[in-house]
Amino acid sequence: MPVEVIMPKVDMDMASGKVATWHVLPGEYVEKGTPLFDIETDKAAMEVEAEASGFLHHPAAEGVDIPIGQPVAWLYQEGEELGEPPVRTALADADDKPSPQPVSETGSEPVCADETDEILPQQFGASDKVRATPLARSIAQDAALELTEIAGTGPRGRIQAIDVRGQVEARLRHTSAVQFQPESGPLNISRSRDGAGMPVVLIHGFGSDASSWKPLEAYLQGRPVIRIELPGHGKSPKLRIDSFTELSSAIRRAFDMLDIERAHLVGHSLGGALALSLADTRSKSIASLTLIAPGGLGPEVNGPALEGISKSTRAESLGPWLKVLVSDEKLITDGYVKAAMAPRKDPALRAAQARLCDTLFPDGVQPFDLKAALDRIDVPARIIWGKQDAIIPWRHALRAPGNIALHLFDGVGHMPQFEVPSEVGKILRQVYDGAS
Amino acid sequence: MRKITLSQAVNEALAEELRRDPTTFIIGEDVAEAGTPFKVLSGLVEEFGTERVIDTPIAEPGFMGIAVGAAMTGSRPIVDLMFGDFLFLIMDQLCNQAAKIHYMSGGKLNVPLVVRTNLGATRRSAAQHSQSLHALVAHIPGLKVALPSSAYEAKGLMKTAIRDNNPVVIFEDKLMYNDKAEVPEEEYLIPFGEAAILREGRDITLVATSSMVQVALAAADLLAKDGISAEVIDPRTIVPLDEETILKSVQKTSRAMVIDEGHQSYGITGEIASRISEKAFYHLDAPVLRMGAMDVPVPFSPALEDITVPTPERVAEKARLSVRGELFNAA
Repeated sequence: MPVEVIMPKVDMDMASGKVATWHVLPGEYVEKGTPLFDIETDKAAMEVEAEASGFLHHPAAEGVDIPIGQPVAWLYQEGEELGEPPVRTALADADDKPSPQPVSETGSEPVCADETDEILPQQFGASDKVRATPLARSIAQDAALELTEIAGTGPRGRIQAIDVRGQVEARLRHTSAVQFQPESGPLNISRSRDGAGMPVVLIHGFGSDASSWKPLEAYLQGRPVIRIELPGHGKSPKLRIDSFTELSSAIRRAFDMLDIERAHLVGHSLGGALALSLADTRSKSIASLTLIAPGGLGPEVNGPALEGISKSTRAESLGPWLKVLVSDEKLITDGYVKAAMAPRKDPALRAAQARLCDTLFPDGVQPFDLKAALDRIDVPARIIWGKQDAIIPWRHALRAPGNIALHLFDGVGHMPQFEVPSEVGKILRQVYDGAS
Repeated sequence: MRKITLSQAVNEALAEELRRDPTTFIIGEDVAEAGTPFKVLSGLVEEFGTERVIDTPIAEPGFMGIAVGAAMTGSRPIVDLMFGDFLFLIMDQLCNQAAKIHYMSGGKLNVPLVVRTNLGATRRSAAQHSQSLHALVAHIPGLKVALPSSAYEAKGLMKTAIRDNNPVVIFEDKLMYNDKAEVPEEEYLIPFGEAAILREGRDITLVATSSMVQVALAAADLLAKDGISAEVIDPRTIVPLDEETILKSVQKTSRAMVIDEGHQSYGITGEIASRISEKAFYHLDAPVLRMGAMDVPVPFSPALEDITVPTPERVAEKARLSVRGELFNAA
């Protein structure tokens, strides 16, 4: 593609200039860096060097005023086909000028002048290189936005923070409008690769997924682990769930498909309520039941936190809510927030969880009461709770009948399995070693 | 609070420290009986005598050498260098000797010495008496450099300089000697390496030193009329430099401009701008801008001299273009 030679800006007040003399005849070869033409402005005359090597074609007429940034000639490479004579915009007194036409339509690549020179925006048309400020890049990265899809409003089309923020807001408006699309299929089950003895079945809480069990699994001393992911969470399909009972049934179906004789069952938060409900109907298959900060034992629940987590679209908004989950905020590192945000970037997942949140916890209340189920439990059962739990009050545990063990941890929040995994692991090992 | 001039503030600082510490003395040209430059030292020779306020011949390398030796052997000299431009005359004593003796002696010797001098153009003093040469000494490890921007800073920084066990060069703006500011009656010191945030803002950070602090504040007023909110920071000492305050501000505003009266090339503006670019890179929404004095000898012609230094209008214009994303030549 021929290289465009533009009328450069050689002094501050210059709006246009004239080619006084060409140093090279049309069709002649010019070396990069050798004099190409003399420029004349109102104030000065100076020599302009070729910015690339090539054969000079379509030179502007000498003595004609040409606005800066407009082409004055093209440099062709050896064997390059000569295009149509380019069209250029000249100022008033040029008689031989054709009608004005934008530079971009000449089909030529614009050539950047020296970066340090004052450059007008119209010199820069199409370019593959994304021009964005560091802050804009940083915001785009955090929001997982492609800079190539954002129009820049800064100098020379540079993408600035304001442009990216605009895009983030636009996406927010768009994604908040994303409708829940029900899916079908079995819930996602993942199993540890090996291990011996009776398996431990884990049911995570609302807004979480199977990966949340990782800290605790390290303390289960090689027992086989089976993790069930709730509908609309992790890799499970986004099933249409209209009540706690429906959710319970979905978990029961998943459990029945596990093809195991007996298992220890552990559930956290909403997963605790589901584990209790499962143990109530499948007591013969359950060797022991451990409920960590379970739902279903009282009406109170931190509604704003649940809604906040289910609707967060960015690490910045998710982070503060995650800190509510624990007692020691230092546990919620930037890396942790980023990892927690990764699956939430899917708007369909957020829509599914927001709907589930609204279904299960209308007006920030737990309408399902499992006290009766707890009273009926005839497998060894225990409840583990952090006394600084800001999501579900630990005092709900006091409704448990006397045969159920209570483990209450001071200085621990809603996630004992994450905050004090070794302690929780110790309790589980004691139970499991006694049972098998 | 009472208001006093920058001259009076420096005078008070010197008098208080001369009274407090008998090892201190002032040495320089026209500091005692010959009459004092810019009238800053009025009354000191009367109180402390010619043994502690010492007039010298016109021989800067000589009295600077005397002061370095005195500092090495237990005194705390305050060298009065009548014009900052005369720094060239004392370069070896200051930069090769004073700055390095602590290091070369393996820490056995200190040079608790203050060079009191000035900077600033637009006084019609021509090219050899108008320079702002603080970048020259800031470049040399071993020297501290203080740049008071008002009477309050001039007094607090001077007292800290005199008590410092290292050589300190303190530059007063010679156009500000008669400018008044609030200065407490009671004693105070201003620690080195602590910038002052003189005005809070959210759109752009103006880092300005010495004479340029007032220019930056006036520019911030102009910008406010256009709805642009500028934060103004005075580092007060450039060695040591309070990077933290500057970086925090830039992280908030995402834009910065550095203004200093030294020549723009290879100067303070370049140093501070580069630190911002390196350390707040992903917070920047525009290139870091700077404005120093023009890279020319300071002209004697008033009309020409005035356009060589940054003005509130020019600072505001450049900052405005940057905030609006219209500054094409700094793309």
